[in-house]
Amino acid sequence: MNLIDLPANVPWLSLIWLSLAIPTFIIALLKPEQKQEIRMVGAIFSFISLVLTLLVYLAYDYRSPETFQFLEEIPWLPELGINYILGVDGISLPMLLLNGLVIFTGALISWNIEDRTREYWALLLLLAAGVYGVFVSLDLFLLFIFYELAVLPMYLLIGIWGSTRKEYGAMKLTLYLMGGSAFIILGMVAVYFSGTLRTFDMRLLAQSALFSRDVQIVFFVPLFLGFAVLAGMFPFHTWSPTGHVAAPTAVSMLHAGVLMKLGAYGCLRVAMWIFPEGANYWLLPIAIATLINAVYGASIAMTQRDFKFMIGYSSVSHMGLTLMGLAAANTIGMTGAVLQMFAHGVMTALFFAVVGRMVYDRTHTRQFPELGGLFTVMPFAAIVFIIAGLSSMGMPGLAGFWAEFNIFMGMWQRFPLIAVLAGISIPITAGYILIAVYRVFFGEIKNPEFRHLPKLTVQEYAAGIILVVVLIVSGLYPAYLTEPIEASMQPIAEALARAGTLGMR
Amino acid sequence: MSFQITDIPRILPELMLLLLGLLVLGSDVLTRWGRGPQAQFERAREAGQLTATGLGLVFIVGLVQSRFLFTVPDPTGGPLDVLLTLGRNLQAGGPGGSPILGAFATDEFTMVARLTFIGAAFLTTLLAMGYRLTANPGEFYSLLIFSALGMSIMAAATEFILAYLALELSSISLYVLAGYFRESERSPEAGLKYFLFGSLSSAILLYGISLVYGFVASENQKAGGTPIVATLFAEVGRFATGDAASSPLLILGMLFIIAGLGYKISVVPFHTWAPDVYQGAPPPVTAFLSTASKAAGFLLLYRLLTTAFPGAVGAPRLEEFNGWSSILAILALVTVIVGNLAALPQTNARRLLAYSSIGHAGFLLLAVLLWSSTSPVDRTFGTAALIYYLIVYSLTNLGSFGVLAVLTNALGSDDLSAMQGLWRRNMPLTLMMTVLILSLAGIPPLAGFWAKFFVFMAGYQAGAVPLVTIAVIMTVVSLYYYLRFLKAMWILPAPETTPFRTPPVANAAIIVSTVLVVLLGLLPNLIWGTLSSAASVAAR
Repeated sequence: MNLIDLPANVPWLSLIWLSLAIPTFIIALLKPEQKQEIRMVGAIFSFISLVLTLLVYLAYDYRSPETFQFLEEIPWLPELGINYILGVDGISLPMLLLNGLVIFTGALISWNIEDRTREYWALLLLLAAGVYGVFVSLDLFLLFIFYELAVLPMYLLIGIWGSTRKEYGAMKLTLYLMGGSAFIILGMVAVYFSGTLRTFDMRLLAQSALFSRDVQIVFFVPLFLGFAVLAGMFPFHTWSPTGHVAAPTAVSMLHAGVLMKLGAYGCLRVAMWIFPEGANYWLLPIAIATLINAVYGASIAMTQRDFKFMIGYSSVSHMGLTLMGLAAANTIGMTGAVLQMFAHGVMTALFFAVVGRMVYDRTHTRQFPELGGLFTVMPFAAIVFIIAGLSSMGMPGLAGFWAEFNIFMGMWQRFPLIAVLAGISIPITAGYILIAVYRVFFGEIKNPEFRHLPKLTVQEYAAGIILVVVLIVSGLYPAYLTEPIEASMQPIAEALARAGTLGMR
Repeated sequence: MSFQITDIPRILPELMLLLLGLLVLGSDVLTRWGRGPQAQFERAREAGQLTATGLGLVFIVGLVQSRFLFTVPDPTGGPLDVLLTLGRNLQAGGPGGSPILGAFATDEFTMVARLTFIGAAFLTTLLAMGYRLTANPGEFYSLLIFSALGMSIMAAATEFILAYLALELSSISLYVLAGYFRESERSPEAGLKYFLFGSLSSAILLYGISLVYGFVASENQKAGGTPIVATLFAEVGRFATGDAASSPLLILGMLFIIAGLGYKISVVPFHTWAPDVYQGAPPPVTAFLSTASKAAGFLLLYRLLTTAFPGAVGAPRLEEFNGWSSILAILALVTVIVGNLAALPQTNARRLLAYSSIGHAGFLLLAVLLWSSTSPVDRTFGTAALIYYLIVYSLTNLGSFGVLAVLTNALGSDDLSAMQGLWRRNMPLTLMMTVLILSLAGIPPLAGFWAKFFVFMAGYQAGAVPLVTIAVIMTVVSLYYYLRFLKAMWILPAPETTPFRTPPVANAAIIVSTVLVVLLGLLPNLIWGTLSSAASVAAR
């Protein structure tokens, strides 16, 4: 069922990623002094990309038997089976929408960057263009290229505009992620030579008859781990809080909101899709690692004194739940995982917008003992933070609830014990969110200067409202997300289930 | 097998290089130049312009001759007939035919190599023109041309004596070039060090050749003693098969040859000269040394091993010796590890890139390993990967050493710390250096990424999975020191903020290499098709 029809002869998906790649060059041609123009170009083009993703979302027909739509195929290096193949299904669509939302609100939040504005915007848009590219690629090679394009600008974005040990954070993050991509390269080479097809087209590779069981079991590991590093899986998660804290606000939003989802998306789309038997073999270890992620991440978040570190660890914990949904390897769990990616992306963007921009840029501190009573000063920030926090706890009526509900249901069917143990993370999450809300927004104002903080800007209001509305709408009417996701997840889950029965024999 | 008059067009580019070198030298020496800085400047400019024009012309001739771009149509009776006939005659000497006297192959492999070296010499000339040359510019440029000539012959040689002479021609020119800045402290040291290492390696190489010659001659004697030229690669290949391929004499000769050439391509443990020489030599020379010279060494090594020792290839396994591919696998292993780890603590940019280029030699060896496969498709792929990597690596390193040459000229130092805050001082140069460094690090969509990916594929397909795994991990290590360039240029505070200009000619060279790196990254099939056909000839 699709709500609108789009002309078929337009390369919509290319347009989506180009709508952020082109302004990078436009901005590079502007003078460094034209800050307002640069911001306008960035904001307008990110808005265009958001509109494009919305159009594609509405025009996608999830009832159609063709899972992949809006296909574009151009030969690139056909001798080696490398082609420019784009297409979306119900799994990548919510991710596209998420990226559109986060880059647009991130652009609004970046309004106050005064230092080297031109370079900042060019890199920010390039990063987001890379993220779009990953979500629309159906060729493994192309996907990897976009993936690296999305990772590398981080180094400069954090290194130049960051705070708190920024050079260390930037280097650590980049080396971890590039270490992950080294594994992915290894996996890609193996995928290419182990099958008989000599292609990187994932639709063909996913016909699992291509690969023997041994190949799947061995090479699932580098592919999955490579992406899992970016998803922040235990024990490869330590780059993530350091990186989040060091990054400038909009970059944290993109990073925790979308980039980590790239990792989880890669785990699903590449590793689990191409190697279902391999995935089945390793489900239990993955599930245990994600259990540690969820519970340990939440517990560490509880002990933080730095507001942003707390959000950083909460991301680790929530990404753990996402991966846990994938480890359930059934339709309901994996649908929950994708929902969680969407919900967590929106709410964590909101968190970082509040913490980094609304609070830190004004108070210049993120330490809980120095903050307090900000509700009276900036009620809007407090309210949106509380809404995001409620979603994070899994409050019914908000997006996070449906995600976690599905994940736990799925896990219960696969490994009931792990589902029960992971449940511990829910009260811990509630605990640290409430503590943060109490310490930052309620109580008495610790620092008298806080009474005279600058007012929130129009852009901050707009970003906050957009994200909150999305959280609430997705909470009240999740079907617009779940139906396409489920429709596309069905065949993947079936392949995994089939692989499971094969392994039993 | 004798030399025909029709063979002359086949070696036309080499002949042109020879003439050009003599012309540049003569026009400089035979002119009476005034004294003083202005006259010196004019003199250097004139020699540079002549060299650049000449090399550009030779490059075009080589390109037309190779038929890579187009085939000249038959004369049609129009006004352009003279040109068409000329073009056809030129292309008649294009790829194909058996080697001249069995010793000089003019296949597509040679054509690609020739274009690479001439192109590298051209870019180096541009870089040198943007650099202050003190004494005898004619000498400098003609040595550069002679060196490129030697490299072209190296890549084409299919006979040991010719290969050796070509190697010496290119090396001896480079020894002088490395020590060209006589008044500086490091340059003569670099020249001397390079010379000592180089001549020792030549001696080892020559010893290896004589052993192989002895082996072939005695085997021939046993087989009946028909007169043959026992130094032809093909003759060696004919005798070094089956059981004879594992004869200790032959193996020893082969080991000596690999060791002798190992210095040229600076693989560990024959690499120790490289950092000192790269750091001490005049910066444009370093650019040439690290790219064309290494590429020539690789191409000679490749042709030599695959045509003279195809029977002794073995399998690229690390744990046991079973042919040259296992030796190369071990060399590749130590080279990627040592090169990349030793680069980590460096503070001088040129020295750092020197170690990085040692690391790259290790990656390049991975591509050679695939020749151990028996499938022609695989062999073609490995060869194409090798040439692609060499071309891309040459372009990237010419560009990045070119940037360092500009920096040395403008700032008086090429330490990493001198690059701090470069974005504030020269934005275009910073951007180009960023692109080049990222390409060296193998970041998509730049050409360096494809190159690395291809060699990893080649290594994997050759069955050297542990080696490829280590090489892949080493790329992550290398990223650390490449990011230090980005950190210095973009992130760290600038000690000084006065802008400076890039000399226009040097800028042109850097722009050309950067644009090509980006272009080959976005559209690798621009040259991949050509390379595959060149490779299928070489991989027979």
